[in-house]
Amino acid sequence: MSRGALLFAFNSPKYNYYDMAVATAKRVNHFLDLPVTLVTDSESLPVKQSYQFDNIVMAPADKSNKRDWGLWFNKGRYRAYALSPYDETILLDTDYMVNSDKLLKTFDLPTDFCCHNKTSFLMHPNLPQEVLSIHSFDTLWATVITFKKTTRARDIFDCLEMTQNNFQHYGNIHGFVSSTYRNDYGLTLATRIANGHTSPIEDYIPWNLLHVGNNTKVYRNDDSEFNTEYTVLFDHWNRGKIRKEYITIKNTDFHMMMKDNFMELISE
Amino acid sequence: MDTKTILDEAKARFNHNSAKSYLKDKYDSKFIIADQNGLWRANPEIINFLNYSSDEYVILIDNFDNPVKVDRNILLIKLSNTYRSVMEEWYNEWKELESKR
Repeated sequence: MSRGALLFAFNSPKYNYYDMAVATAKRVNHFLDLPVTLVTDSESLPVKQSYQFDNIVMAPADKSNKRDWGLWFNKGRYRAYALSPYDETILLDTDYMVNSDKLLKTFDLPTDFCCHNKTSFLMHPNLPQEVLSIHSFDTLWATVITFKKTTRARDIFDCLEMTQNNFQHYGNIHGFVSSTYRNDYGLTLATRIANGHTSPIEDYIPWNLLHVGNNTKVYRNDDSEFNTEYTVLFDHWNRGKIRKEYITIKNTDFHMMMKDNFMELISE
Repeated sequence: MDTKTILDEAKARFNHNSAKSYLKDKYDSKFIIADQNGLWRANPEIINFLNYSSDEYVILIDNFDNPVKVDRNILLIKLSNTYRSVMEEWYNEWKELESKR
């Protein structure tokens, strides 16, 4: 039974996702002891590579998506099922900072597909869960997906392709803005469709996905390659004034929403 | 610039509530284990139940709301060990945090 991690990295004009993927792959190797396969395209892959992935799968990027800060090549995640060379795969966003072996637990869960349905934000303890819209479902998160090569998992990824291709239609039905494609929303809909419009509790990773969001900046506490201790600085806005607050964290995985900060963290 | 200098220059204050919440999130997940085809959360309630039962096998509802027949002793040992080690880790990090007051 082979196990490994799968990363998608398509460089945009603003961000080098390949560099992010290399940093994340090294941490996956170190903390999870898993091989990493990269899905990328010829434009993102540098001529000289300093890191040896287990596999590199060349696949064309769908460049038809954009968000507030520019072009965003996040489409095509549904190809993970077909492109993963492993029997059991952890599909990760490249901006997920692995600091522990926690993700290995997802292999032990009695399910063939799971993702996060609950999140927490560092420095925002009481934020409500995100929903597709007030008339729709709680959002699932495509940041971490663990799947096995089963018919049901394949069905979910097939449905993800379908929801991606008909995103505007689903936006109209569920009342969300569909001008920017989001894998999280596509996945939320795909898992429900593949499960007969139900939401099996087994499909959810039984702990919260930890986000680092707006007004929050993370600093490494030391410069070692596999540092696991960070200081998190937060701008607390109160009556037009900023109060700086901080906490320290260690041995904790987190998802960086602010790509610039992620790039700073992984820079040598 | 090291983080201490950054914090000094920003005149940042340690936020205990956020730190407490982060610790709860972090350690909550560590109580969860998969065993004997079920998913379990190590807590005093289930540990006490397993401890006071005398049957070799018991049927319990797991975290996914499925009834699972388990070898009582094996699960008891795993959950007790998990609970003890995670609580100790949590306590130590909490004490470290408290010292920042």
